[in-house]
Amino acid sequence: MILNWAPEAIVDIIVSVIILIAVILTYFEPKTKKIKSLFYIRLGIFSLGLFFGFDALAILFLSTILARLIAFTIIFAAVFLTIGLNYVLKESYQSIILTIVISYGVLISFLAWVPDSIIIEYEAGYLNVNWDGIFLIIADLYLVLPLLVIFYWGIKTWLNSPFLIKKEANILLIGVFFGCPITLLTYFFYYINPIFILISDVIGAIGVLIFCIAIIREPKLLYILPFTLYRIVVKDRKGYPLFDHDWSESNISEEMFTGFINAVQLMSEEVMNIGGLLDINLQKGILILHDSELITVGLVSSKFSQLLKDSIINFTLDFEQMFKKQLIESCNEPEKYETAYLLIDKHFSNFPFRLISTKKHPLLLSGDHIEIPLELESRLKSIVMDKKELNLIKSEILKAPYGLSEEFLSLYDELKDEIALTSKKEANKLENKIKNKD
Amino acid sequence: MKNGIKFPAIGLEHPMVKRVLEIAKEILSKNKVLDIESLYNLAKRRLKIPRKGLLSIIQLLINKKILVEGSKFVRDNVLSNFYRKNIYNYIKKNGAVHFSLIKKNVISDTKGNYGSSGQLIWHLEMLLKFKFIKKIKIGNYTVFMPVNFESDMGIIIFIMQDDINKKILLLLKDQGLIKKSDVYKEINEKRENVYYRINNLIENDVIHTKEKENLIFINPKKIDIISIILHNKNYIENN
Repeated sequence: MILNWAPEAIVDIIVSVIILIAVILTYFEPKTKKIKSLFYIRLGIFSLGLFFGFDALAILFLSTILARLIAFTIIFAAVFLTIGLNYVLKESYQSIILTIVISYGVLISFLAWVPDSIIIEYEAGYLNVNWDGIFLIIADLYLVLPLLVIFYWGIKTWLNSPFLIKKEANILLIGVFFGCPITLLTYFFYYINPIFILISDVIGAIGVLIFCIAIIREPKLLYILPFTLYRIVVKDRKGYPLFDHDWSESNISEEMFTGFINAVQLMSEEVMNIGGLLDINLQKGILILHDSELITVGLVSSKFSQLLKDSIINFTLDFEQMFKKQLIESCNEPEKYETAYLLIDKHFSNFPFRLISTKKHPLLLSGDHIEIPLELESRLKSIVMDKKELNLIKSEILKAPYGLSEEFLSLYDELKDEIALTSKKEANKLENKIKNKD
Repeated sequence: MKNGIKFPAIGLEHPMVKRVLEIAKEILSKNKVLDIESLYNLAKRRLKIPRKGLLSIIQLLINKKILVEGSKFVRDNVLSNFYRKNIYNYIKKNGAVHFSLIKKNVISDTKGNYGSSGQLIWHLEMLLKFKFIKKIKIGNYTVFMPVNFESDMGIIIFIMQDDINKKILLLLKDQGLIKKSDVYKEINEKRENVYYRINNLIENDVIHTKEKENLIFINPKKIDIISIILHNKNYIENN
């Protein structure tokens, strides 16, 4: 049997292999294995790979049956990509776009079997199996829809990505840019010159590969849009804070946060049973509380999320297991629980950290970690006994203009004789003078 | 690890974390701006660790609140400190005040426990440095006043916080010229108290003497200021 080695068949095989390699890479990367949205996106991309594979086979064997079957691979690709993006955007598969994609898919699967929808023709000197007529137009438009949704998601993800994963977000944007608008644009030229379909296929495959590399490098990209994770706090049953971790600045006040946790700890036995979960809508976010036998874990996020609920339950179980000895001994020193950072890595590793907004984010060292010259430090200690006040001054010295500490010490020396005057009696005397004046 | 965690622990005791912290301290000690970029670039050059690892360390330091958000002081953010702002407002409201009054009225809690003098002097130094206030010496007192107040004005405001001084100046304003030895009788106060204050007023150039006749009178250049302050209680607040 003689195979029809048309250039498009060769390009289709190459593109199909590239796409399948990209899919396999995302499957074997451990961090991305359990991500539900990626599971569907992967299926969508795999269907795209099949699309090119079937197209290659259809051309090689000049088979109109295989060419008609391609329609189903497009439908699968569009449906799975839409479900995947729905999970990324709102943790649910359902959306109006999915309904449109499925309805449109029914039409395509019908049109694919209409006579004359597939033709075998000479194209640039080679025999090719091509879509034709209304099927060609409807199927091409069908491909545009999920690509536009992916492009929209890519741009939004890039715009909202925090500084720490901006580099990966840039890679994702390049992938999405190649895979969507550039592919569509070059494909449009196919109507003018059939050679452009080859360029379009290659660009699309490169886009998919770059997209997959970005996701493998940083799965957090898939969690930028659904919600913002603010904070997690672990308290023991007596209310002592054991561990806390911040992902981003929250508008929810500290008092409200700890107040709710304390209140829930008090009422937990009556209302939510040990092991129960409680969601509290705080308008500015959602507080998810999980009460276990030994600890209460509170997590604040911008939206309700089943994924977060599952994560908090697993985190709680692991925390209890990891620190069982300390918890049973009622140890409430936060230093003993510092390694819980590992559990954050384990259960929340895919959620982006947003405390750093830009690379120009100004930073300072907190008072406890500031080192100033020993001589200055000892003088400061002799002047300011209170540790909190001392730390404040130390932290301000680092923010203050050069030489201010020396000026402060000389002002202190200048005023030191007058400090004696600050007895209550003397101050009252001076104050009375002011009152009398009024 | 029991929980099947595959990543190595990055804690504050990790040598790389300590080295990044050292680099942050070094940047600040050179009086340079510390931001993610400067810390990242210097640490990357020195430690030669991968980008992701270095960013994780910076992230850890921020999460543990060892590196905190904040920038060097400029005039606009000096008053962001609650106490400092209150001190400044108190000085503005009262025109010219001594350190002890600020301590009593601003740096004290509801039970009357004072904050330390050191803390107050630090805030005053910051206000002086960024030209929110200035200080003048009046007798034994160091007095703080808003920077836009003329020193003469500050002296008079501070002096007139004393009742006897105020009576002396009112008398001089009404009579123009008066014998020094007659003042205590006119205002009905103890002679030594009045003499002590008259000498202070002379020292501060608020009143002048005609020595031969032992006469005193208000410095003509300051009579307008004194009149304004004597007759307009809201003068300080309005200015």
